Amino acid sequence: MNNSITLLGLLGREPSYGYDLKHSYDRYFGAGKALAFGQVYSTLARMVRDELIRALGEETGGGPDRKKYEITVAGQDRVREWLFTPDVPSESLQSNLFAKTVIALLLDDDADRLLDVQRSEHMARMRELTRLKKDADLLRVLVCDHGLFHIEADLRWIDLTSARLAQLKKELQSA
Amino acid sequence: MNPGLLKLAVVGSRSAYGRLTGIAGGVAAGVCLLLLLWGGANGLSARDDRGAWLRETGSPSVAASPTEDPTTAGPGAQVPLTADTVLMEANPAEVFRDQLISRRDVAALGSTTVKIPGIGHPPEPGRYYASPALQRLIESTPRDELGDRFGSFAGTIDEAALPGPDSLIVVTGAPEADLRQNGRAFLVSDFTTNAYGGSAAAYNTVLSIGAIAVFFPVLLLISIVTGLGAAQRRERFATLRLIGASPQVVWRIAAVETSVPSLIGAVLGVGLAILLRPAAAQIPVNGTRMFAADLTTGWAAAVVVVAVVFAASALVAAHRTARAGIGPLGVTRAIHEKTPTMWRSMPLFAGLAAMIAAVLMIRVLKVRHWLESPLLIVGFLLILVGIVIIGPWLTRLASRIGLRQARSASAVIAASRMQQTPVATFRSVSGLVIAVFVVSVFAGGSSIIESTEVPPARPGLLQPTSLHATVNAGHTPAQAEDATRKARELSGILSATVGFGPGALSGPDAGPEIYLRAADAPGLGFEDVPATETVAVDASFLYDWTTQPLALSPAPAANLDGMVPVVIVLGTDGTPEAMDRARTLLNNSGVTAHSATSTLDAGLQSSTRLIQGLAVLAYLGMFVAIAIAGLSLAVATASAVLDRKRVLGLMRLMGMPVFVLRRIITREAAVPLLTVLLLSVGLGFLVAWLMVTFIDDTYQMTWPEPGYFMALGLSLLLALGAVTATFGLIRGTSPMTATRFE
Amino acid sequence: MSTNDTAVPILSARGLHHSFGQTEALRGIDLDVHTGEVLAVTGPSGSGKSTLLHCLAGVLVPDGGSVTYRPAELAPMGISSLGEPKRARLRLTDFGFVFQFGQLLPELTAVDNVSIPLLLSGTRRPEAQRRSTELLERLGLEGIGAKLPGELSGGQAQRVAVARALVTSPAVLFADEPTGSLDSLASENVLTLMLDLVREAGTTVVMITHDARTAAYADREVIVRDGAIGAGYRVSA
Repeated sequence: MNNSITLLGLLGREPSYGYDLKHSYDRYFGAGKALAFGQVYSTLARMVRDELIRALGEETGGGPDRKKYEITVAGQDRVREWLFTPDVPSESLQSNLFAKTVIALLLDDDADRLLDVQRSEHMARMRELTRLKKDADLLRVLVCDHGLFHIEADLRWIDLTSARLAQLKKELQSA
Repeated sequence: MNPGLLKLAVVGSRSAYGRLTGIAGGVAAGVCLLLLLWGGANGLSARDDRGAWLRETGSPSVAASPTEDPTTAGPGAQVPLTADTVLMEANPAEVFRDQLISRRDVAALGSTTVKIPGIGHPPEPGRYYASPALQRLIESTPRDELGDRFGSFAGTIDEAALPGPDSLIVVTGAPEADLRQNGRAFLVSDFTTNAYGGSAAAYNTVLSIGAIAVFFPVLLLISIVTGLGAAQRRERFATLRLIGASPQVVWRIAAVETSVPSLIGAVLGVGLAILLRPAAAQIPVNGTRMFAADLTTGWAAAVVVVAVVFAASALVAAHRTARAGIGPLGVTRAIHEKTPTMWRSMPLFAGLAAMIAAVLMIRVLKVRHWLESPLLIVGFLLILVGIVIIGPWLTRLASRIGLRQARSASAVIAASRMQQTPVATFRSVSGLVIAVFVVSVFAGGSSIIESTEVPPARPGLLQPTSLHATVNAGHTPAQAEDATRKARELSGILSATVGFGPGALSGPDAGPEIYLRAADAPGLGFEDVPATETVAVDASFLYDWTTQPLALSPAPAANLDGMVPVVIVLGTDGTPEAMDRARTLLNNSGVTAHSATSTLDAGLQSSTRLIQGLAVLAYLGMFVAIAIAGLSLAVATASAVLDRKRVLGLMRLMGMPVFVLRRIITREAAVPLLTVLLLSVGLGFLVAWLMVTFIDDTYQMTWPEPGYFMALGLSLLLALGAVTATFGLIRGTSPMTATRFE
Repeated sequence: MSTNDTAVPILSARGLHHSFGQTEALRGIDLDVHTGEVLAVTGPSGSGKSTLLHCLAGVLVPDGGSVTYRPAELAPMGISSLGEPKRARLRLTDFGFVFQFGQLLPELTAVDNVSIPLLLSGTRRPEAQRRSTELLERLGLEGIGAKLPGELSGGQAQRVAVARALVTSPAVLFADEPTGSLDSLASENVLTLMLDLVREAGTTVVMITHDARTAAYADREVIVRDGAIGAGYRVSA
């Protein structure tokens, strides 16, 4: 899961302080492993440098926790590109897809579409594996089956999440 | 058992009430019919018992001639009338309109101690006692047609001596000398109470068999209605099993929920039978209605019927449910039927063997033994049950041959199903097959009393509209001519002829021919009259069994002078009034030897009263049986369609046209029906022949009457109707989308 | 296999609408099934997959919209405007059907079950039995011809059903959860045997499934959600 782009996505909702940003992140994604403040501030600094975000007028003190940040147009494009680019199906995919879904819902973007796009990518991979099985030796068939069953597990998660999107959105917005 | 659980299981849904009402209603109808038929059978024998005294024949009033030589045998010595005897003549052919009147002429001493049943002291000469029905007839008819035959009214005969309210019986008083005249009067000292004479046992056996045959379809009805909605129940029971009810609890619930509505229905049926009894008594059986009291079966019978129906329905429901093997996941033994084997033909053959053995004992060994009646009854029961048992086996044989020959999809599907589930397939038609068997038995049994055809009016034969009576010995031509002269004055009488001969026809001097004046011949229907003054015709002219026209031959004119009148023939216009006037006149003329008869009367005289009565009951039973059978076929066919809803839906989805489905359903009903129908018809007539032979080996069976073929046709029509009725169901319940498991 | 640009449609549905009482099962479906392709129709339960299949196959007449058979040919056939007898005839001659389970007549032997469609279209019984036996052998079912469905394993019964669906050499095979009641290995067996036969004969397949691994055997997948083809979804090939 890409932490920086997730933070960028959270900033997409509304301008906010680094301190608040960290807490938002922890609430949605940080179950069991909260972000360190240092990591947040270094990421924010890097994104300011890349012009994905900018600081809104400085307040007293001038420390990073006193700064309020806002996403730029370039930053918004970066987030959308991330959302709708399917990941290569793999066992470790889950957390990234999860982050995408949450961010899309928080941004009021089309979470359905992103799941469909991912689903399509999964199916394409499954078809490929199924084709590979044809005329292959048993060892190769077993390897393909292993992949197929794992991708299928993802697909099931995708289908289940699609079915629960409305409920999830309601929960996120009320939080 | 938990009453809450019972309530939940029994009346859990609205459709449950419909089912329970159906059971109660069906059982009520069945029990009501059962009691009425039972009453009817009892009534028949009660009726015959009351009428038994009419069978009394007494002892000869003339002592046998002391010499053995018939040529010298004159009239024997008369046995004198005493105080403990009456002289009675049974009149064989007292006919009014188309009804036979039982007439007894009696003469007694004033001091007689003989009591005539229903009357008491014998009537004085010239007076008569009549049954109420006859008296009403006498009073509503001109006296010259009926009343004049009997004299003056003395009183009515008591109901205790009448078979039924419509019985026409008259006991007339006559002078002793008149009765002695023709030698047919007998001396009677008391009246028999045995209704059937020597064949009482035989009649009782036939009565039992008739009762079984009529009751069986009614029992079938009760068995069908208690099985209503069984398939639907099974699913409910499976749910009960799933939530933890033990098999015992389930079959106990089944027993209770069937037997309680059965009990209610049975009690209702008893009430209904009591209510309907007066109406049922109005149905004429063998020409006369019954006394409503005859149909009473008594409280004991009603209690027995209710108890048996209650117990049987509980046992059957429990047994069926236990045998269906309902597990938590539904019926486990539905599709696996035990393959029927040849053993299934055993009961049928055993039954046939028993019946044949009984008849052989009588016909070959010429003995009558107490064993035959039970043999016959048990044999009949075995055959009845045997047909139901052998059916599946025959169905399976037929379907095996059918499957090999099958060409079309519908033939293959129907034959395969029958081969796999012959018991279920045959069950659908078993009711109809039994009905046809019962109908055939009675059609065969009653064919022996088929009434004779009305003889055609042909020249050379006695005209059916004419009446004749032979003249007693000792009367002069003048007396006979006097009677014919009076006859000619009556309206509706077209001709009056006296036939002459050398001596009275019943006497030793009777000649082979009857001589007539040629002028009278056309009045008797002759067309070719020889041109002589006197003509002659063979004496067989008078017999009603003569069917070949006879020719007149010329006779010397002088012949008539030396002869005596032997017969008087009155030609009428054929109206019942004219014929009855002619009868009354002839009977009152004092010259005739017996009551005037017409060739039409033969059909009224029959000695097979009981079978006739049973035949009427049988036709009632037949109607019930066929109606029930049609109903059971419709129910069975419908549930066969419902059971296969899913598969039939799939077939339609695959593109099988609806007409193929219809053909499948039709074949599944037609094959078992036709396979066993022929057997039923054949067995029915065989059994009828065995029974008839059993009663009396002089009886002949003939071709059954048209009513039988109508009944057969009706059964087939009903079958067709029942199957067609389910066609709507095929369209409605095989929605093609019912392809997935819901 | 085929792509959207070059494919020739064999079945073409436009604006399909269908309701069962108050429930709208299909709400405006446009779909082309291409000649020779294996199309998987997926979607959640109750989404209208089966209703779509029934409309495509001429089992149901949709309340609105049309289904055309061989739309690219000179005389395209408007299935949804035919009467039931003609549709039944079409299903018998041009379509084949495989379902989840319990589709065999329990009283008929395997060979007779397979023969039924042939008998219905007028083939003589010996010829029908010969062809059925042959097809059963190609599906790896030698020597089970005389058995009853109750005596077969689930996978064998399903292969008999496949044989019955294919015995008339249909142009389109409709399969509704064809392996839904089988375990992984048996379902893979049935699917590969069925698809080998189908691809060899160039038969088009419309297959409903909720199982991704089964759908992966298809050339193409459409998802039905709430009576419509999955919104914003890129049909993959």
